[in-house]
Amino acid sequence: MQVMTVRHFTEADIPARIKHMRDPSFQANLSDFATSITDESLAARQRRTIAQEQHTARIFTICGPGGEVAGFAWINPIDWYSQCCELSAGVLPPYRGGLGALAVAALYEYLLSELNIRVVVSQVLDHNQMMQSAELMAACRQVTCPLDSYTAGEWRAAHFWAFTEADARSYLGAEPAGRQALADRIRARIEEDQGP
Amino acid sequence: MLDATAAAQALSDAAGAARGFLGIDPVTQNCALIAAELTRIGAQVCRADDALVGYAHRPSQPRQALVASTSARAEPVATLLSFLRIHQRSTSYLALVPAGSVTIAAFEGCGFRQAGVLRDHRYQSGGYQDVLVYFAKEADTCRS
Repeated sequence: MQVMTVRHFTEADIPARIKHMRDPSFQANLSDFATSITDESLAARQRRTIAQEQHTARIFTICGPGGEVAGFAWINPIDWYSQCCELSAGVLPPYRGGLGALAVAALYEYLLSELNIRVVVSQVLDHNQMMQSAELMAACRQVTCPLDSYTAGEWRAAHFWAFTEADARSYLGAEPAGRQALADRIRARIEEDQGP
Repeated sequence: MLDATAAAQALSDAAGAARGFLGIDPVTQNCALIAAELTRIGAQVCRADDALVGYAHRPSQPRQALVASTSARAEPVATLLSFLRIHQRSTSYLALVPAGSVTIAAFEGCGFRQAGVLRDHRYQSGGYQDVLVYFAKEADTCRS
């Protein structure tokens, strides 16, 4: 059983996502648009994505071990003919670290196994270590673009990398025992935190 | 009978059982996309006890209905076929069923026979899967 799961983003999720997008620690990872428009405009953009833009952009809700909202992910743009998309994701503070990595694994699995995407491109700003350490990012990155974004008062470099079907075979397919062991350790930690 | 929005929500709630139902897939399509697709093909979805059944007429042959179910039980499909015969003057039925679907039993129980296989017709769970074409003339079907 997956610890972290992914489902379609719904209108009921919009307030939680707006709150997340305006969290100062997370907002620096985005462009500044979320801080420059009203709640209603931000909500309207998300309603439009849900209702009218599924062929070019999709938002997903990341759920934690109990099905609770743990974060959000979005793919945009989507090139169905090339079977390629750009993935962005953010998880709430309790889920950063190991659970965030499992969330990314669940996203990769969904995109490749159900949406038939072959190449997932990720972009992470240099300061952002919410879902991966600096060491992991250094190992992943294939392209670095200096001065990519100006967010929260600073110019940021962006790192890009592609996750392909070949990566999936080694990351998702060849090491199920390792992933299960990680999931078991996290589940045990959650149960320990929750107490008897 | 459910309107498109209610039908999309019901099919989303049915999740795995609704994969391939009239060509839609709740795993890869959100409610808005499912509702739009049901509207585009002119589909009607009905609730029959714990099952959902649906139909859409083929524009080029309106006496033939494309039908679908979420259940392995024959009764909901039989009820749908009776409705289509009595109220829509349907004379034949087509069902496109993902290989391995539990709903095959429902269609075979109502007199459908496999007429062909669409090889690698849909992508699901990491691979291309066959879709089975089931067909029945009105005279072949069971009556509810």
